[in-house]
Amino acid sequence: MKPFLTLSLVLAAGLALAQEQPPEAPNQKGGSAAAKPPIADLPPGDAPLRPPPMAPGQPPGIVRKPIGTIIPPPQMMQPVINTSSLLKVNVTYQSFNLQIPWQKESAGGRRGLGIVLAKNRVLVTAQMVADSTYIEFELPDSGQKLPAKVEAVDYEANLALLAPNSPNKEKDFFLGLTGVELDPSARIGDALSVWQSGRVGDLIVTPMRISKVMTQGYFVENAAFLVYEATGIIRSESNSFTLPVVKGGKLAGLLLRYDSKNQVATLLPAPIIEHFLKDVGDGKYDGFPSLGIELQVTQDEQFREYLGMKSGTPGVFISKVMKGGTADEARMQKGDIMLSINGNDVDARGDYQDKQFGAVSASHLIRGRGFVGDEVEIKVLRDGKEVLLKGKLTRKQPDDYLVRPYLFDHGPKYVLSGGVLFQELTSSYLNSFGGESRSGALLRLQRIASNPEEFEKDGRKKIVFIGAVLPTQSTQGYERMSGQMVLEVNSHKITELKDVAAALKEPKDGVHTIKLREFPYLLYLDALRVERDNMQLLNGAFRVGELSRLE
Amino acid sequence: MKPRLLLPVLALLCGAGLTPAPAQENSGASQAIDLSSGDWEGVVNIDVSVLFPDFREPWNAGAPSSGSGTGFMIGKNRFLTNAHVVSNATKLVIRTTNDPRPHPARVVFVAHDCDLAIIEAEDGAPFEKMKQLTFGGIPKLNTEVIAVGYPIGGERISVTRGVVSRIDFNTYSHSEVDSHLSIQVDAAINPGNSGGPVLQNGKVVGVAFQGYSGRVAQNVGYMIPVPVIQRFLKDVEDGKYDYYVDLAITDFPVENSAQKKALNISDDGVGVMVAEVEPAGSAGGTLQRGDVLLALDDNPVLNNGLIRFEGELMDMSEVVERKFAGDKLKVAFMRQGKKFEKEVELKRFAPYVKLGSQYNMRPRYLVYAGLVFQPMDRNLIDAHGVRDPVASYVFDNYLTDKLYVERPEPVMLTTVLSDEVNAHLTVYAQSVVDEINGVKIRELNDVAEALKKQDKKKDFVVITLLEKGRPVVLKRDLADAAHPHIMQTYGIPADSYLGNE
Repeated sequence: MKPFLTLSLVLAAGLALAQEQPPEAPNQKGGSAAAKPPIADLPPGDAPLRPPPMAPGQPPGIVRKPIGTIIPPPQMMQPVINTSSLLKVNVTYQSFNLQIPWQKESAGGRRGLGIVLAKNRVLVTAQMVADSTYIEFELPDSGQKLPAKVEAVDYEANLALLAPNSPNKEKDFFLGLTGVELDPSARIGDALSVWQSGRVGDLIVTPMRISKVMTQGYFVENAAFLVYEATGIIRSESNSFTLPVVKGGKLAGLLLRYDSKNQVATLLPAPIIEHFLKDVGDGKYDGFPSLGIELQVTQDEQFREYLGMKSGTPGVFISKVMKGGTADEARMQKGDIMLSINGNDVDARGDYQDKQFGAVSASHLIRGRGFVGDEVEIKVLRDGKEVLLKGKLTRKQPDDYLVRPYLFDHGPKYVLSGGVLFQELTSSYLNSFGGESRSGALLRLQRIASNPEEFEKDGRKKIVFIGAVLPTQSTQGYERMSGQMVLEVNSHKITELKDVAAALKEPKDGVHTIKLREFPYLLYLDALRVERDNMQLLNGAFRVGELSRLE
Repeated sequence: MKPRLLLPVLALLCGAGLTPAPAQENSGASQAIDLSSGDWEGVVNIDVSVLFPDFREPWNAGAPSSGSGTGFMIGKNRFLTNAHVVSNATKLVIRTTNDPRPHPARVVFVAHDCDLAIIEAEDGAPFEKMKQLTFGGIPKLNTEVIAVGYPIGGERISVTRGVVSRIDFNTYSHSEVDSHLSIQVDAAINPGNSGGPVLQNGKVVGVAFQGYSGRVAQNVGYMIPVPVIQRFLKDVEDGKYDYYVDLAITDFPVENSAQKKALNISDDGVGVMVAEVEPAGSAGGTLQRGDVLLALDDNPVLNNGLIRFEGELMDMSEVVERKFAGDKLKVAFMRQGKKFEKEVELKRFAPYVKLGSQYNMRPRYLVYAGLVFQPMDRNLIDAHGVRDPVASYVFDNYLTDKLYVERPEPVMLTTVLSDEVNAHLTVYAQSVVDEINGVKIRELNDVAEALKKQDKKKDFVVITLLEKGRPVVLKRDLADAAHPHIMQTYGIPADSYLGNE
């Protein structure tokens, strides 16, 4: 019976495949499913009517509309349609190869729009600057350029604040530009317009109307935020990242994605931008807080009765409380029924009634309306009794997760020893294989990522696994291995990658012993040979520059 | 309906018109055959009507189909063929070259793990005088063989010729999980050849059984060699088939110097690392992970897991392959530098049968208030196209993570037949069942009892699913009341089939 050898082949094949892939197309940031570039699905010939270019100060030509829609009052757009708050942002980026972690992928470019705010700061989506190596501002009309840098970035909220990076030229460059203000007041039914910059800096304005407000993931998968869904027709321009959406001349949001088939745009709304800017403004960026729970809706009457909930009363069933999160610190428990947050009833769907938006997921109360450190009061039903839980809002940093949910701007951690590649598991790594149906080692790693509790309880801070085995003398016979979780190295328990580096300093009788969670469970390496191979690996055929990256 | 010609792995070779091969009369081993001589009279055509069980609607009969293969006489009214020729058969008919009459037949023994079966004619009288075929041995490489049978391309008997290309251990694709010795030949083996004899000097040296489609590899056909056939024949001598036995260990080749040093393996090329030992297998409790296997029945096991057996290097499993349930095997191994020799009693390792295709099985199920429960196996996974990540994990790691120890037969809530009573539960289809009313579900047979059990909240039926956040909850009185009309609405004749009849 030998069904096991083939399991590791899957990963090995995946590795080979990834190496052969052509370089990423510009504007296509690999990794997360949410990273689809806005409007990229709009074919060029498919462009709808485009309003004629407009000079500043001139009222826009009203686009013909079907009968029955409300035409926005003209003064809403009138004096403020100008390009003085927009500039082009050009980003060169280069992501790390997650499977060959000492290498970088080929560099690519992204072009988008930036929104000028006060103090010469420019707002873009975080997606725009992920893994950036060089950023520049460009004036749409004159083409003048200025180097820029990232001042603050939040990949969960998909927002980044850029600052000029050339003190001498800054003043002249920003002379004709004026900062735009935020308007977080938009609500369902409001008319908005999307700004795009044409080839020579001309402004293209497209009307939109908010049809829905809900919560959704933005760019990475681990957090859901408020979004506006708006309907309207947007044509694709070359700079389709970070399109501003305005209401009455003020910034009401950024275009996140556009579904050209259904003509539905998803907008990153001003309340979230406001939250981000306020957080950045106090000098210390904390990020958006979260409760750290998993909940189940309670519309099922039989389930409600089972839980002892009366018909028509609020509340959702708490099915998971993440270790160290806000809810955990406030002593919420699995099995509680969450009735309200800060006095707002949470209904059977998990929504609360927002004054501005109507029914919205209660997560917005925490993430959108709250800040890290704020007091929170949560009422739960426990064993038939109401209990009031009090706590402070916290945010789980990406590094606090057993399996890091995303990784940008830094290379993945690794230790390469004698040809055995030790890595820390991240969601980005799993996503780099693409595809839905998985089996073998990938499926097991995926399961660890979605069930971290058992490993956290076991004292693991991270999951260390064998990513690949390079053919060396030390690894003779092990070449096809990959995907096994590392439990121990030289009798030292491995809780994170650093432990591997330390444990490899203590071979016994000249042999490293590596204990794995899966077949073949045991791996032996000759310590002397490992040292020799390490020397050869450095700048050898595999172009390894460093044998490890631990930060 | 045109009958399916039977041969697994192989897709029909289409396109190129088959040109008849010129008769070869010059080659030493080949001779023209006079069919009337009766030499090949014992090679018969088997027509099969089959019923493919429906694992999606397990209460239904399934889809009827038909097929055709080859068999040959090996004893008085005894015909050998492939298991896959007669799998799921509802009706068998034997036809011969010189007799226009169809002869109804039935299966006597079937061994899905080595793809062999024995059938008999309901009336043996017409075959009384038929010439039986006799067995040879393992043919040498590059010696000539002929395959005789009823493959695609015509109605009458066909002969193809080739040489023995390779003798190796190979997966038998009928079950997908069993590997045995098999012999590769370059004689054309096509759909319909299945179950037919491969002959050398007039003796049977194998049973043609699988091959590759011409789009994958050319002239690669496989036959089941005589040792495997004779093991099967010996096994059924007592009137029933007892399956192959398995040591149920996985070895990891020793090629690495550090591995050799750490495991104290000497330089004589003997010893392979034991990487995995199934606790429920024959070697469970005897061997451990990290042991070094030195010999099986005094046959030294080499660093790559091979042994020298009957003059050839073969997979060490071959020693176990020739044995039967209850036989003893002498196992020599080294643990932490110390040598041991122990005897293990060989038995079948059942858990991994579920990972492969199974046949002649009426699907087992249980329906309650529109919730359909079925045991998880390959047939179910394929039929339902299971994509749920938890279910995929459980099936994929049934062996590797030893999940079979806790749950010999994981049970899945496969379908929710919509009704008011289960309106909020459709999203839980394809979940793996953990407990019902506090009772751990280890196999399908646990479900019926557990459903009746009254737990803390006795008015409710509470079904917990693996990693699904909340239990599935039904009010017992509502569910009991809804059950009969759901059965009627969806046309389900019986609450369950548990395989007891």
